[in-house]
Amino acid sequence: MEVNGQLALTVLMGVFLIAVAAWLARVEDWRSYTPLAGGGTVGGTAEQYVSEEKPSGVIRWLTTVDHKDIGMLYGAYALVAFAVGGLMVVLMRIELADPSMTLISNTFYNSLLTSHGITMLFLFGTPIIAAFSNYFIPLLIGADDMAFPRINAIAFWLLPPAALLIWAGFFPIPDVIPAQTAWTMYTPLSAGVGSGNQMNAGVDLMLLGLHLSGVSATMGAINFIATIFTERNEKVSWANLDIFSWTILTQSGLILFAFPLLGSAIVMLLLDRNFGTMFFSVDGGAILWQHLFWFFGHPEVYILVLPPMGIVSLVLPRFAGRRLFGFKFVVYSTLAIGVLSFGVWAHHMFATGIDPRLRASFMAVSLAIAIPSAVKTFNWITTMWNGKIRLTTPMLFCIGFVSNFIIGGVTGVFLASIPVDLVLHDTYYVVGHFHYIVMGAIAFAGFAGLYYWFPIYTGRMYQVTLGKWHFWLSMVGTNLTFFAMILLGYGGMPRRYATYLPQFATLHQVATVGALILLVGQIIFVWNFVQSWLEGREVQDGDPWDLADDDLVTAEWTWFERKLETAVTDGGEEETELATDGGQTVDDADAESADDA
Amino acid sequence: MATKTFDKETILDLTVNMVPLAIILFFVVAFTFVNPFGFESLTSGLQYTLLIAPFVLLAALTYLSGKAIAGSEKEGTVYAPGQATVPGAKPLHEAEGEETAELEESTDDDAVEAADETA
Ligand code: HEM
Ligand SMILES: [Cu+2]
Repeated sequence: MEVNGQLALTVLMGVFLIAVAAWLARVEDWRSYTPLAGGGTVGGTAEQYVSEEKPSGVIRWLTTVDHKDIGMLYGAYALVAFAVGGLMVVLMRIELADPSMTLISNTFYNSLLTSHGITMLFLFGTPIIAAFSNYFIPLLIGADDMAFPRINAIAFWLLPPAALLIWAGFFPIPDVIPAQTAWTMYTPLSAGVGSGNQMNAGVDLMLLGLHLSGVSATMGAINFIATIFTERNEKVSWANLDIFSWTILTQSGLILFAFPLLGSAIVMLLLDRNFGTMFFSVDGGAILWQHLFWFFGHPEVYILVLPPMGIVSLVLPRFAGRRLFGFKFVVYSTLAIGVLSFGVWAHHMFATGIDPRLRASFMAVSLAIAIPSAVKTFNWITTMWNGKIRLTTPMLFCIGFVSNFIIGGVTGVFLASIPVDLVLHDTYYVVGHFHYIVMGAIAFAGFAGLYYWFPIYTGRMYQVTLGKWHFWLSMVGTNLTFFAMILLGYGGMPRRYATYLPQFATLHQVATVGALILLVGQIIFVWNFVQSWLEGREVQDGDPWDLADDDLVTAEWTWFERKLETAVTDGGEEETELATDGGQTVDDADAESADDA
Repeated sequence: MATKTFDKETILDLTVNMVPLAIILFFVVAFTFVNPFGFESLTSGLQYTLLIAPFVLLAALTYLSGKAIAGSEKEGTVYAPGQATVPGAKPLHEAEGEETAELEESTDDDAVEAADETA
């Protein structure tokens, strides 16, 4: 009887929804909504522009479908998330300066740990990449805009609610507490089983937020695949495609196969938590979760690292005065990483008692995937070899990337070896390994991009000396923090604990000092970024890095040059040589900027 | 024609992916001869599937992308990556210079238009 009632209700809802859709289709002329920014897929040509002017003020940012504006929104969002996640971990590191529970409670530590991981991976990592790809891919491939500008905007606007849901537990909402499941959300803990407090609605909200961010990433990925396949300028053939676009294309492919799986697993978990299903509570359920999660999780780490590799492959040669060595090697190895990353997931599960035959296969593919990563590293080094190196801030971050990526990659290969992993699994060694990649490499490439393209998106130049301070503090801080963690791991310090045995105190304190150095560096970055944006010297030269000297100008800079030319038509002004980071020797640049600071 | 796409240079470029393929192949053979855990149809089947599936997929993607890239090298002008639409950019193979100059004009106009839009 009850079931029939529900069925009737469902049918009624369905009919109602169809009616609404039909009504909307009648009253609205959807044709008039062909892309504002001239994506022009729905029979749109350049003449069909709905409006030439963007509205001003806040409305502009809320309604924009221009890929450059959306890139800026992604960038702002990512940097805010980076600050939130960073401050969370500063609190944790201060707590870890001493072995016992002092500053914050153990449960609050667990909450911060969970949110730090999810925030950095999903709210900082993916969006900061999307910032660069949205702004620059259409410029690099000579497209008018993304293939689907409106979907692009929707994908971004799903992210703020995602963040609110993920952080919901921290807000003063009665009876809602933050998730303490760690970013891996292993069952049975995350299923709320047992006497713990993880049955709380805060965990459900976090799962929903994560799901939403996945939907956003998937929409973005579809958009990039469509854009790179169909919107390229006729001269940009596959042979002419730049390396950043290649990495974004591969990344989008990975997203397309990985994120829907995470979404399904999350829905199953939500059903287990709220509707009495037993996906993860029957025999083998916990292992099922691990398989589903890591089939997404390992590709996710490459989703995060491939585009930064693309940025470094693009930027590093510009300051080495020559083209990227072995360009095609980098392209093919990117594609190889894309495929193989789906065949290694159980290297996160070596210690689960998995069948040794399967374990051996996962080890084999994990060793094979190290090759394409190593190939890229050799290409970057060879590009710099005997090159005309200019140690500008973006270049420093690129070199830092390569250096940190080597340590992160080599520790990864060790972990991929079964006997080594059985000793080091779930220790700080793993934490050191992946932070060398996510902080030392991915964030570094993000900074390289932010500095390199600063003139394009602000029209101004940042302060050189502060940029260098930012780099060196970040480099020292990263290596201090995460090398100490690698040593802690060798000593047997397990990960994810708020307290520890006194014998680990010294190394933990070293890591905390490193984290504080990182904090100082990032404060300098924020100051430099904001102040230079508002008051930095205006760039009048479309080629502030003097790339033309070595024939290394890429399409986004010629776009910038045209933009400057069309904007400044007054003339009569004499050419003033601008103090950029690039046009002069390093020493000069430093002297110049001393008066800036 | 089809065989011509994969000339010596392209094959050389593709060696980068032959290495991981070779490593996987090595383990397929190695696990056949060194097999301390015995044979069981389900797990051993999965063991080989986990190696062969990535092998096949990687080989396929390498072939397809190699064909796309080498093919478009044959058909159109090749510029340094990311520089095709840069005015005055020289093709990597000078021989095709003329046809490039023509193309360049048309796209320049488009680009200026785009810049207008955003200015
Ligand atoms: C290139 C970018 C890479 C990123 C972003 C990355 C990231 C990560 C992350 C986040 C974890 C921790 C998972 C957890 O929470 O337990 C991890 C663990 C691991 N990584 Fe990487 N990794 C990278 C490269 C590599 C490479 C090249 C290898 C080896 C070929 C590798 C092998 C491993 C292994 C075996 C583990 C599991 C260790 C354990 O839990 O015992 N990683 N990696
Ligand atoms: Cu992995």
